[in-house]
Amino acid sequence: MLRFLIKRLLFAVPTLLAVLTVVFVVARIMPGDPAQVIMGDQASAEAIQALRARLGLDRPLWVQYFEFMGGALTGNWGSSMVTGRAVLGEVLNVLPFTIELTFVSVLVGAIIGVPLGVWSALHRNDTIDYVTRIGSLLGLSFPAFVMAIMLLLVFAIQLRWLPVISSGGDGSLADRAKHLVLPAANLGIIMAAYITRVTRSSMLEVLGEDYIRTAHAKGVPSMAVVWRHSLRNALIPVVTVVGLYLGILIGNSVLTEIVFNRPGLGKLIVGALTQRDYTMLQGLMVVYTFIIVVTNLLTDLTYGFIDPRVKYQ
Amino acid sequence: MTKSMFAAALLAGAAALSIGAAGDARAQEKVLRYGMATKDVGRLDPHITATTPDKALLQMIFSGLVRFKPGTISPELIEPDLAEKWTASADGKEWTFNLRKGVKCHDGNELTSADVVYSLKRAGDSKTSSFSSDYKDFDKVEAPDASTVKITLKNPIPSLLGMVSNLHGGNIVCMKAAEAAGENFKLKPVGTGPFKFQEYKPQQSVTLVANADYFRGKPKIDRIEYKFIESDASRDLAFSAGELDLVYGAQNQTWVDRTKQVKGAVVAVIEPGELSAIYLNTNHEILKDIRVRKAIAHAIDRKAMVAFKGASTSREAKSIVPIGYLGYSEDVPLLPFDLEKSKALLKEAGHPNGFTLKVIHTNLSGMLPTMEVWQAMLKKVGINLQIDVVEHATFHAQIRKDLSPIVHYAAARFPVADIYLTQFYHGRSIVNTPTAVTNFTHCNDADAEIDAARVETDVNKAKALWKTAQVKLMEKVCAVPSHEQLQVFGYKDNLVFGYDLKGSLSLGPMITEQTYLK
Repeated sequence: MLRFLIKRLLFAVPTLLAVLTVVFVVARIMPGDPAQVIMGDQASAEAIQALRARLGLDRPLWVQYFEFMGGALTGNWGSSMVTGRAVLGEVLNVLPFTIELTFVSVLVGAIIGVPLGVWSALHRNDTIDYVTRIGSLLGLSFPAFVMAIMLLLVFAIQLRWLPVISSGGDGSLADRAKHLVLPAANLGIIMAAYITRVTRSSMLEVLGEDYIRTAHAKGVPSMAVVWRHSLRNALIPVVTVVGLYLGILIGNSVLTEIVFNRPGLGKLIVGALTQRDYTMLQGLMVVYTFIIVVTNLLTDLTYGFIDPRVKYQ
Repeated sequence: MTKSMFAAALLAGAAALSIGAAGDARAQEKVLRYGMATKDVGRLDPHITATTPDKALLQMIFSGLVRFKPGTISPELIEPDLAEKWTASADGKEWTFNLRKGVKCHDGNELTSADVVYSLKRAGDSKTSSFSSDYKDFDKVEAPDASTVKITLKNPIPSLLGMVSNLHGGNIVCMKAAEAAGENFKLKPVGTGPFKFQEYKPQQSVTLVANADYFRGKPKIDRIEYKFIESDASRDLAFSAGELDLVYGAQNQTWVDRTKQVKGAVVAVIEPGELSAIYLNTNHEILKDIRVRKAIAHAIDRKAMVAFKGASTSREAKSIVPIGYLGYSEDVPLLPFDLEKSKALLKEAGHPNGFTLKVIHTNLSGMLPTMEVWQAMLKKVGINLQIDVVEHATFHAQIRKDLSPIVHYAAARFPVADIYLTQFYHGRSIVNTPTAVTNFTHCNDADAEIDAARVETDVNKAKALWKTAQVKLMEKVCAVPSHEQLQVFGYKDNLVFGYDLKGSLSLGPMITEQTYLK
C-alpha cells in the first residue's frame, strides 16, 4: 500500500511539471497584458512598458520560465501581478470555502443519488423508474446558474429563509451553515442527478448477476441482497464518477460561486484568466493539479475499501 | 451548589450579558451595505488604480488638496479640502496651497506639507503611478513650511486644481504609512478621508470604519461594508431582499424601471456620461476616404440608439467631447442621420454595394450589444461589419495594436476637454507608438490647438481653441459620437447622502461624513 502511494505521488511529479509548462506557455501566448489591466485604459504605452519591466515581463521567456519553475518547486509562488497579494495567501484564503462547498455538495449528491438510483433500478421500467430517470435528466441538463437563480427566488426572496449573499456574516458555524445551504443544494442536485444515473445502471448490471439469483434462492432477505450483495458491488463505478466529478467541481463551481457570491477557487481562476494574472494563474494550476492527483488517489484507495479483491501494486 | 459551580454560573451569566451588550452595540451601529459589480478589488492605491470599483471605494479613504463638491463633477465647483486656500502667480506657473492644521492621517500622524509633497511626487513618478504623465509639467513641489505647499510648473496648467483634487494622482497618501508599507501600501491604504480601511476579505468585501478624527467631523455612518457582487442578478436580488442599502445598477432602462418597483428603492442616474463613439482608423485603405467615413456617420441613428439604451440612462452625443466638460462645444459639424445621403456617399466613393469590414470587439455585456446595433444600422447602407468577438483583455490588447479599423470605446474622463482630446485625438496618443494612449483614429489635425489650449491661462481663449479642435476633428470625421451612458445606482430610501447627488467623478456616490441611515 505504502509503495503504491509513493509510486502514485512520484508519477504526479511529471504531470505537475507538464501542466505548469503548458500553463506558462498558454498564459503568455494569450493576447492581453497584465500591465495594461493593472494600469487601466488611461495609461500611456510608456507607463505600461515601465510596469512590464518592473514585473519582469520584459525579460526573455526562458528566464521567466526557469524562475517560475524554481519558485513553484521551492514553494515560492510569488505575488499576484494585479493585486500584489501573495498567491499562496490568496489560495489559502478561499480554499476552505471551496472544500466546504465541494464536500457538502458531494455528500448531498450521494445521500440523494445512491438511494434514488437503487430504488429506480429495483423498479425498472415502473412509473417510479421513469420519474427518477426524467428527474435526473432534468438535473443534468438544467444549467447551474439558472437553478441557482430559481433557488434564490424561492428561498431568499419569497420565503426569506436564507440569504442571497452567501458570504460574510460573523463566521460562526451556524452562520456558515446558513450561507452554505443554497450553494450546496444547487451543486448537490446536479451531483445527485449524476449519481442516480450511474447507480441505477450499475445496480441493474449487478442485479442480473448469477450470485444475486443464488442469494435470492438461498432465501437471503431482499434488503440484504440489495444493500449488502448488490450495492456494494455496484459502487465502484459510482465512486469513479464521484471522484471524477469532485475534481471538476472544484474548478467548475465558478457559476455557483458567482451567483451566490461565495469566495472560491473557481472564481479565483476565472479572475486570474480575465486579468492575465500570470503568477496567480500558475499558482492556482499547481493547487488544482495537486487536488486532482489527490482526488484520484483517494478514489483508487476507496476501491480497496469497497472491494477487498482490489490489490494495490 | 458548590462554590466552583456557583462561580462557573456567575461567569457564564456575565459572559452571556457581555455577549448581549456586544450584540446591542452592534445592532445600534450604523452600517452601510454597498454592493459593487466586481469580482474583487485590485490594488487599493489611488495612484495606480483606474477601475470604477476601486475608485468608488478609495474616494472615501483619501482627500485631495481640493475636492469636487460632493455630488458634482464640475471643475468650476471645486472647493477646499486639505488646503484651506490657495493662490496662483500671475503667469499661472506658481501655485501656493495653505493646508488646514490639525488634519490627522488614519495612522494617527498629523498631515503636513511633507506628506503632500511626497504624495504629489509619487503621483508624478511612473514607477509608482499610472497617472504620471498628467504631472509631467510639474517642475518642483516644495514645502516652505509645515502647512504650505508650493507647486512650480514648467508651463501654466489652467486645470491644475483638478490635478490636486480627490481623484487619481491628486489623492494625498500619508508619507509615513506609505514609506513603511512600501509595496504593501496597496493592501492597507492610509489617507485622511472620512473612512478608514479596516479589513479586506478576498472575493467578499472591504470594510471601512468611520474616521473619528476626520477634519470635517466624525461620519454619521459607523461602518461601510463594500461587498463585491459580480453577478447583476444576484446584486439585484440581494438589494430586493434588503441585504444591501446601495447598489451599482445596470445602465439600461429595464433595470431602472424594475428597481423602481422594489419597495423603498430610489434610483439615481448620475453624471458623468460615458461617451460611446465609433473611432475610425483614417489610415485604413477603405476608411481613409472621407466620403466613406461620412457615409458611416450618416448611417448612425442616435435617436434609435438612445431608445435602445433607455431614455433615462442615456442621451444623444453632440460632440467628440462629452457634454458638460469644460471646453465642450455643441457648435460643431455633427453629421445627421440620413440613409440616402449615406448611400449616395458610398456610391460616390466607389462602393455602390457597400463593403465588408472585419472589426474586433469585446464580449462585455455592456458593450457588445452597442456594436451589434451599429452593425444593424450600417447594414442598411450595405456596410457589413464582421465582428470578431474576443474576451475583454484581448480586445484592449488588440485595439492598441491597431488591429481593428473601427473601434467602439466608451469612456468618461476628467471633465476638461483637454484630457479627452489628448487621449483620443492627439498625435502623441496614436496607438502602436511608444507614447500611445487611445488614439485609434490616427488623426493629429488638432494637435496645435490641443497643445495651445493646455497652457492657455485665459479660459475663454482655451475654450475657443478646444472648440476649433473639435470642429477640425469632426470635419475630418475621425470618429462618430453616438450616445452617452450615465451611471446608475439604486439605494434604499432610508439612506440620506447629505448632499444633492447629481454626479461623481469616481463613478460611485461619495459617502461623506454627512451621509446617514434613517
